[in-house]
Amino acid sequence: MRKKVISILTMFALSFSIFATGQQGESDPVPAFDPEKEYSLSFGGYGDLERAYKTIFESAEFKKALPNITFEYQMADFGGHHDRLTTVLAAGEATNDIEALEIGFIAKFVEGGGLTNLAAAPFNGIEEGKDIVPFAMSNATTAEGRLVAYPVDIAPAVLFYRKSLADAAGVSLDNLKSWDEYIEAGKKLTIDKDGDGVIDQFAMPHASEVAMMPLNGGKGGWFDEDNNPLQPKQKFMDSLDLVKKIREAGIDGDLGAWSGPWIQAFADGTVASIVNGAWWGGALKAWVASDLAGDWRVAPLPGGLYASQGGTYLSIPQQVPLENKAAAWEVIKYLTTTSHAQLSTFEQIDAYPALTTVYDDDIMNEDVPYFGGQKIRQLYADVANNIPSAKVSEYDAVVLAIFNNAVTDVLVNGSSSEDAYNKALNEIRAIVD
Amino acid sequence: MSLQPNRLTSVGKKSVMYFFLVIFAFIFSFPFYYMFVLATVPGTKIFSYPPHLFFKDSLWTNVKALLDDIPFFVNFFNSAAIATISTVAVIFFCTMGGFALSKYDFKGKKAIFIFILSTMAIPPFLNIVPFFKMMVAFHWYGTWLPLIVPGMANAFGIFMMAQFTKDSIPAALLDAARIDGLTEFQILMKVAFPLSRAGIGVLGIITFINSWNNFLGALIMLPNTDKTTLPVALSKLFMQMDGDRGGLMAGTVLAVLPLMVVFIIFNKQIISGLTAGSVKG
Amino acid sequence: MLNRSQKWAPYLFLSPFFILFLVFGVFPIGYSITISLFKWTVSGPQEFRGIGNYVKLLTTDPFFVGSLWTTFLLLIFGSLLQHFFAIPLAILLNNKSLKGGDSFRLLYFLPYITSSVVIALIFSQMFDHNYGWLNYIIENVFGGEKVKWLQDPRAIRSSIAIMVNWRFIGWNTIIYMAGLQSIDQSLYEAAEIDGASGLRKHLHITVPLLLPIIFFAVSLSIIGGMQLFEEPFVLMRGYEQMGGPNNAGLTSAYYLLATGFSFNRFGKASAIAWILFVIILGMTWINKMVTDKLQK
Repeated sequence: MRKKVISILTMFALSFSIFATGQQGESDPVPAFDPEKEYSLSFGGYGDLERAYKTIFESAEFKKALPNITFEYQMADFGGHHDRLTTVLAAGEATNDIEALEIGFIAKFVEGGGLTNLAAAPFNGIEEGKDIVPFAMSNATTAEGRLVAYPVDIAPAVLFYRKSLADAAGVSLDNLKSWDEYIEAGKKLTIDKDGDGVIDQFAMPHASEVAMMPLNGGKGGWFDEDNNPLQPKQKFMDSLDLVKKIREAGIDGDLGAWSGPWIQAFADGTVASIVNGAWWGGALKAWVASDLAGDWRVAPLPGGLYASQGGTYLSIPQQVPLENKAAAWEVIKYLTTTSHAQLSTFEQIDAYPALTTVYDDDIMNEDVPYFGGQKIRQLYADVANNIPSAKVSEYDAVVLAIFNNAVTDVLVNGSSSEDAYNKALNEIRAIVD
Repeated sequence: MSLQPNRLTSVGKKSVMYFFLVIFAFIFSFPFYYMFVLATVPGTKIFSYPPHLFFKDSLWTNVKALLDDIPFFVNFFNSAAIATISTVAVIFFCTMGGFALSKYDFKGKKAIFIFILSTMAIPPFLNIVPFFKMMVAFHWYGTWLPLIVPGMANAFGIFMMAQFTKDSIPAALLDAARIDGLTEFQILMKVAFPLSRAGIGVLGIITFINSWNNFLGALIMLPNTDKTTLPVALSKLFMQMDGDRGGLMAGTVLAVLPLMVVFIIFNKQIISGLTAGSVKG
Repeated sequence: MLNRSQKWAPYLFLSPFFILFLVFGVFPIGYSITISLFKWTVSGPQEFRGIGNYVKLLTTDPFFVGSLWTTFLLLIFGSLLQHFFAIPLAILLNNKSLKGGDSFRLLYFLPYITSSVVIALIFSQMFDHNYGWLNYIIENVFGGEKVKWLQDPRAIRSSIAIMVNWRFIGWNTIIYMAGLQSIDQSLYEAAEIDGASGLRKHLHITVPLLLPIIFFAVSLSIIGGMQLFEEPFVLMRGYEQMGGPNNAGLTSAYYLLATGFSFNRFGKASAIAWILFVIILGMTWINKMVTDKLQK
């Protein structure tokens, strides 16, 4: 009886898919790309991507390589784009031939379905992407070796700091061996400049900003090889302890990210440093602290840590017409594996290239005047090459949300790291299914 | 003909009342004012602290940036057309349904009322997935239809108009109209609609605003920049690495002006309900 | 005796609703009920669960029951409380001798049309505990201590409730204003002759006659309040964390959206939706009972 009910319900459930016309499976053959043929592709993405890619698609180089492809764009803000994409894919449909994805949203598609496996023929994405930075490729690869999206830009995490404030405090933030060293330096950077009894210069805006640094930037790595969450324990305790130590040392300004005071703090000297992705350098220069040219510097993270702070991927939904898949793949390959596209995107929107071969380009060796003539792009490249590959799982989003709450437990409720860790662990165990 | 002639006679009481009304008006309208201020602030200074509280002179630069970034007039037209069609349809169908529920006795009336009310209690968040699937199957993806047709006779509007027509339309008037030989449809058009102006005013305001602000629906159903509505087109301006939000803020202000106009138009209906209501007196 | 057309007219007038419901409503509802019985991800059904999703939510889920509690609190102090402001405000603004009534109405309604981007900006400015306007007033005017509006678990709920009240008081005021239009003026004149005071007059005439509208507006508040997510979502950083410290800002609808759109469990999210549906129905029914009783 029970079996019957189940089978009827399953039939009913599967019958939903008859609504969609011409569902295609994994194995349907994708026809070869025909350069003579006219293709019209649509691109779904967020924020600055349209601007960056439009420039490329209209360039002479691109038109020479792929002359017969025209584009339409379906753009939104970051949250809206991902909600739309999730809706469309959950409905078993596809509305754009190429969809952009932020790294944090990839995990849920990793378990299968929705997106075309780019590792399979005729794409052979693993082969084609041998020069793409390895951690980014592994973040989009499932346990079974399916590659669901292709990295186009990355955000290696570094320590940004103000040289003049560091000099005044007599500290160097360039080669910190450990976070303890950073905290010691931070204490000297945290001062009451105008002597009114209130601290008005902090080492960093908010303690929680470093929580993900020991954890690969929070992009994957939440489960060990045997699928146990938050293992090895010490790694996660390190994160909570670090946050707690920073707060207890009193060196963070408790400034909420992206609030007015937080942004102002970078220009008016309220904070002396921040941990962030490479793209932040572009924001500092363009508008956050454009008057401070020559004063900001970039250093590797303390203690030899390497982490990623985000990044963009390109994908082809499963239900895209087969002909378009071939063309979409050519476009994705152009955007991710040609130095023209990678460098153009970098120049347009400060999105750091995922393609390692361009790290040797002249542009990447240039002195950057805003950062006092530092070769910051080489530093980014060094970080990018060293970011460890992490295992992604379908639970990454919920575990990240739970762990972020553990961080606030430590910061706001004064919980011990041990208690916060255990609470998070219990919550994760109760919620995974 | 004032409601409380004796209460408002004392000047003291009156000034206390105005004092509070003005304080609250300030609290409620300050963010709206601030929105206009931000439209005049240079694009990279939106987040400045301390915040800009007074108008600056970058409005024109910001508007120019907006017009460069999106096909503003196309998006504006799309939004206005979808919202206007929706509003007209909703007013017609929901007043009709609400009138039926409040002014007729018929078999199953109570059950129908409860049913309509119950459909409102279904949390709508996830229905977008199967709904989208249907729209693709109907070949409605990329058209305005998914944003207009399904909501034309919605439970909220019918429920609301049922409650509003309960007291605003006297039963005696309907009987008189029937004796005069009007058909039921004529009664709807000639008696029910004019006497429901206050309710229609509210329904019109709410429908227009909700349609105009239907972000996720428009984002999912409309395929590209030229076909989409204003709020969706504006949303892509939100993540600019160069931090220039000038176009976004200018667009935000321009997007809100039609809503004010609509409010003022329908607000007149709400008040002019007074004269209609006096018919029964 | 009803004539024939009078008999059929109401069914005809209500038919658009039912046609649209059959075409557009039934499939999504059936879909949603069905997937609530499965482990259902973005790629479809994974495993049949029966009522497993429901049982787990109500027993072992670490967040759901707490989210219901948060939702109830915010429903009372956010969505329902505002009727005690909106009704008197509507009566006041309806007063013909009030100067500038039109402008006040518009000003009070503005929160509903202010861009949510700007609202988020303003409220984060207001609730900022170092530099926020609220704490500035608390410290400098009242000499109190700074409140961590978006960090202290108790303060978080107050912040959300403040935002909800701010956004919807004017909206409810407009609805009540419209409702007041159908009240017969002569009733007040009669009451004045009897020497009724202003307050008594409103308690005995306005409120009873406004009951259908109060029922309507309160029903909407129950529905909206039980589905509240936008305000806490904006204030508590969306999907990035579980509604802030102690999950204080995690309403059930917020949890529903995160479960579906971020955590990729559409079946479980649908189960949350149907639990909410039953609760809303129950509360609306109580609301109806109370209103009916008062009407007698």
